[in-house]
Amino acid sequence: MSDITSKIDGWAPNPRAARRRRCDMLATLFGMAAAGILVLVLASILWTLLFNGLAGLSVAALIKPMGAPGSGGGLANAIIGSLIQTSIGLLIATPLGLGCGIYLAEYGSKLNRFASCVRFISDVLMSVPSILVGLFVYQVLVAPFGHFSGLAGSVALAILAVPIIVRTTEDMLRLVPVAMREAGAALGAPRWRVTVFLCLRAAKAGVTTGILLALARVSGETAPLLFTSLGNQNWSLSLNKPMASLPVTIYQYAGASYDDWVQLAWAGALLVTLGVLAINIAVRISARRG
Amino acid sequence: MTDTQQPAAPQNALTVRNLNFFYGQHHALHDVNIDFPARKVTAMIGPSGCGKSTLLRIFNRMYDLYPGQRAEGEVMFDGRNLLENGIDLNIMRARIGMVFQKPTPFPMSIYDNIAFGVRLHERLTRAQMDERVQDVLTRVALWGEVRDRLHAPANGLSGGQQQRLCIARSIATRPEVLLLDEPTSALDPISTARIEELLDELKEEFTIVIVTHNMQQAARCADQVAFFYMGRLVEVDTADRIFTNPRQQQTQDYITGRFG
Repeated sequence: MSDITSKIDGWAPNPRAARRRRCDMLATLFGMAAAGILVLVLASILWTLLFNGLAGLSVAALIKPMGAPGSGGGLANAIIGSLIQTSIGLLIATPLGLGCGIYLAEYGSKLNRFASCVRFISDVLMSVPSILVGLFVYQVLVAPFGHFSGLAGSVALAILAVPIIVRTTEDMLRLVPVAMREAGAALGAPRWRVTVFLCLRAAKAGVTTGILLALARVSGETAPLLFTSLGNQNWSLSLNKPMASLPVTIYQYAGASYDDWVQLAWAGALLVTLGVLAINIAVRISARRG
Repeated sequence: MTDTQQPAAPQNALTVRNLNFFYGQHHALHDVNIDFPARKVTAMIGPSGCGKSTLLRIFNRMYDLYPGQRAEGEVMFDGRNLLENGIDLNIMRARIGMVFQKPTPFPMSIYDNIAFGVRLHERLTRAQMDERVQDVLTRVALWGEVRDRLHAPANGLSGGQQQRLCIARSIATRPEVLLLDEPTSALDPISTARIEELLDELKEEFTIVIVTHNMQQAARCADQVAFFYMGRLVEVDTADRIFTNPRQQQTQDYITGRFG
């Protein structure tokens, strides 16, 4: 055992130490290079987006609804459609995800069969390709009614958001120390009060962050909307009719052979990105407040 | 306030008879028989794993939170066996308070930390609640330090202050018994001294049961000391007797530091 470490010989140079320093330098260089490449990719995406998007972004693009090529249409109905569908999606997903996350953290011990099942399914759901979710909702909410609808789009987005909220809610609640639950119970608080007023409160920042992350994730989704809300060239606020959305509009316009449509697609992409950026900043702020 | 109307207090606040406790298959406490005199401090000492904390957590049925843990026997409190099925745990826990090893401030203001427990059991007006908060904070000698920031988060207090807040929170529901599970083991000597002083004042009103690893603390604070070893009560007697002339050799060995 004692021979494994070479003895330190005064101030004489130590070959092992020199090798360790070289390894250290290589590892540092590798890490920095990887980080640099990543930042470059992101910067180049943002630059392209800003360069092309800003050109198409105008007041008219924001307030005018979509129109035929060359008619000077905008994106207003797609913007409103996206806002409506993601908000309703989140309204559906938040109570479901919170409730399920609370159940898993507070009542579903690792030994509980049903809870393990729910946890597993939720995790699988998180990695299901979003186009499958779109097809599923198409079968359930579009095909039987014979028409596409904004509501179907919202439901598809909700299905994508739920597992993210479940996972973060459970993880954040599990971080709340057992001592806090015991202290609450020791004062004579019933379990639901401990869960809602102590645990959920202690985990508030993390849980909010999870909901915002889910929002960021679904706000750029295109595939689940293609088969559900379809898109709509006209103004429509009805949840029972096809509804426009930014991602679907980008998909339709970007491949078109009309210059004004392509330019609007860039503007739309810039808007979605700015939206996601804003949500991420909100995530940072909410996480720090914890 | 409620105390003045009480008839002559019974001799013993808690009476334990033939108590056995199991963590699943593991038999953790064997046939424990012990009395806790009202308005006295009883210290429970013994090496780690001897069952003293287990016993403490039986008195407010903390073990009920965990499936697989079960107690058999009798713990008489105010004429009823606490281990019975019909006991309302929430009311019982308001009458038997507990303070934990690590301070556990709730994620809310200092004021709300105290109001949280009170609101569970009583409907008070704003003024009455203010008065209750001031009263308990004064009793734990925290009022002067926090009176100007009652609505600031409790997490901002120092460890010793947090622990005093937790004691205040426990006595705010006006319990008759106060259980303390190594309440000073996470605190510095000055904070520890303040808590010990506090216990001395609190015992005029509450029956106090304290689990401690600190022999000096037991000698300083306790009227009665119980020594546990390997899940059995070895000896219980006045603090003087235990620390000067215990009956059992095991007790003698433990308090002189020969094992444990």
